[in-house]
Amino acid sequence: MSNSSNESPYSANSAAVRAELSEIDSSIRSAALFFVISAVSWLMVGTVFALLAAFKAHEPDFASTFEFLTFGRVRSAHLNAMALGWGNNIIFAVGLWIMARLCRAPINHKGLLLVAGIFWNIGLTVGIAGILKGDITSVEWLEIPHYATPLLAISYALIGVWGVMAFRFRKGDHVYVSQWYILAALFWFPWLYVVAQIMIIWFPARGVVQSVTNWWFAHNVLGLWLTPMALGTAYYLIPKVLGRPIYSYYLSVLGFWALAIFYNWAGVHHLIGGPIPVWLISAGIVASVMMVIPVIVVGINHHMSVVGLHKEVWRSPTLRFIVFGAISYTLVSLTGSAMALRSVNEVTHFTHFTVGHSHHGVYAFFTMIMFGGVYYMMPRLLKREWPSASLIKIHFWASALGITVMVVALQTGGWIQGLEMNNAEIPFLETVQNTIPWLKARSISGVMLTIGHIAFAINIAWMLFAAGAVRAKQGPTLLADTKEGGNV
Amino acid sequence: MDVDSYTNILPLIVLGVLFFIVAVSMLYWSAKKGQLRNFDSQAKVIFTEEEPEGEISDSFPSKKNKK
Repeated sequence: MSNSSNESPYSANSAAVRAELSEIDSSIRSAALFFVISAVSWLMVGTVFALLAAFKAHEPDFASTFEFLTFGRVRSAHLNAMALGWGNNIIFAVGLWIMARLCRAPINHKGLLLVAGIFWNIGLTVGIAGILKGDITSVEWLEIPHYATPLLAISYALIGVWGVMAFRFRKGDHVYVSQWYILAALFWFPWLYVVAQIMIIWFPARGVVQSVTNWWFAHNVLGLWLTPMALGTAYYLIPKVLGRPIYSYYLSVLGFWALAIFYNWAGVHHLIGGPIPVWLISAGIVASVMMVIPVIVVGINHHMSVVGLHKEVWRSPTLRFIVFGAISYTLVSLTGSAMALRSVNEVTHFTHFTVGHSHHGVYAFFTMIMFGGVYYMMPRLLKREWPSASLIKIHFWASALGITVMVVALQTGGWIQGLEMNNAEIPFLETVQNTIPWLKARSISGVMLTIGHIAFAINIAWMLFAAGAVRAKQGPTLLADTKEGGNV
Repeated sequence: MDVDSYTNILPLIVLGVLFFIVAVSMLYWSAKKGQLRNFDSQAKVIFTEEEPEGEISDSFPSKKNKK
């Protein structure tokens, strides 16, 4: 901390102590915009791969002429484009922007962020091209070939160092809960990634240790990277938009430390029934069930923070997405804890139920919150309105309905699939054929999500490149009139 | 598991211990620095003159300044 006086930067009158939010926004503008553009580009690329993979699941001959479009490659290209392309880039945009604002100081070394961002995206492009070429590894969530991963690791390290430096030179004594989440995630992700790369790719451990490491990594990417970043964003933007402090700050801190303690063990539940020590699986199940504590804590806190202000939530494009994501967090986490129980896992394991569950987490929870973060951040970075409220509405409804259809279809179909697979009297091929209607429903949901993504991309491009027309608009980009009378 | 298998995962164990030490150190640091006290006032640090408590802030700071 570098305060030269005892004044708090959050309330001081002295400009030397307190940095204006608009000044901070201005300092991070170029880096944040770069990451937003990169993220949206990867979102569109990942969407194309997703549609291809979804259609191939029920139409195996679809686009099967080319090797690089076979299901295994396209599906893995989709996963990596979404997780590391869309997910990480949008985290670097929204998460670092929130970090800078909470540090209450204009950022330094933005060139470092830009260089790291450029190399991250080059590394990812090389990696996904390698997957399509056939250099894919056989490890789920780590499919990127080994020649691309060092570039990704170094790029990330630079971004992580930037985050730590921003925190080190912050102006202010208190570390807000969002900073805890973001700082911890910046620390956790490289630890996960480097350990997994070393243990599985570079110096492979023998036997089932690889599997344990694989699922420890894959599950923690969601729990210790995407989840803390999304929760940090929600804890910042829900009170910020409503102008009302979070219901219980105590609960928010409790939720953070509970996540930090319990989540790390949970990934082993992916190996229930596998040839690994039973005590390890039991520890994973216990940790998964213990996750109910931070989930309930966060759910109560978010719900109580918006009680009485539901109209304001609905009027705000930011909160419409974020509250959808927050509700999804509660639902997907409780489902996940239930899925870790041996009796439930007997049915859901090896079925589409798990695929539905992962999309519930990564899209309905994480992605929806990040969409909300972008809707709040972009006008402040550019000092411009969103050009079209209609496109925001299309985006919201297409995404919300699309992901709901996907989760319901995959989890209903997956549960039936699991029951049928456990019934020795039903031939295996019949169980596969019975999933086809649900997989077609998944493809329809994919089309709906694509419509939402196109609306989102058009709005961003319009905002960025049609500056004159956008500046002429007046009023906040709320979806309905407010007391101040602003609408678009 | 034989002894060789355990030495195989030694780097993971070392990194795990380091991770645990860092996490406990952070918790100790936060308690020592008073981060776990005065929760009510600390919840309000996100509000500023530009985006104050009590106002819906889903509008532009620049627009408010014009007013």
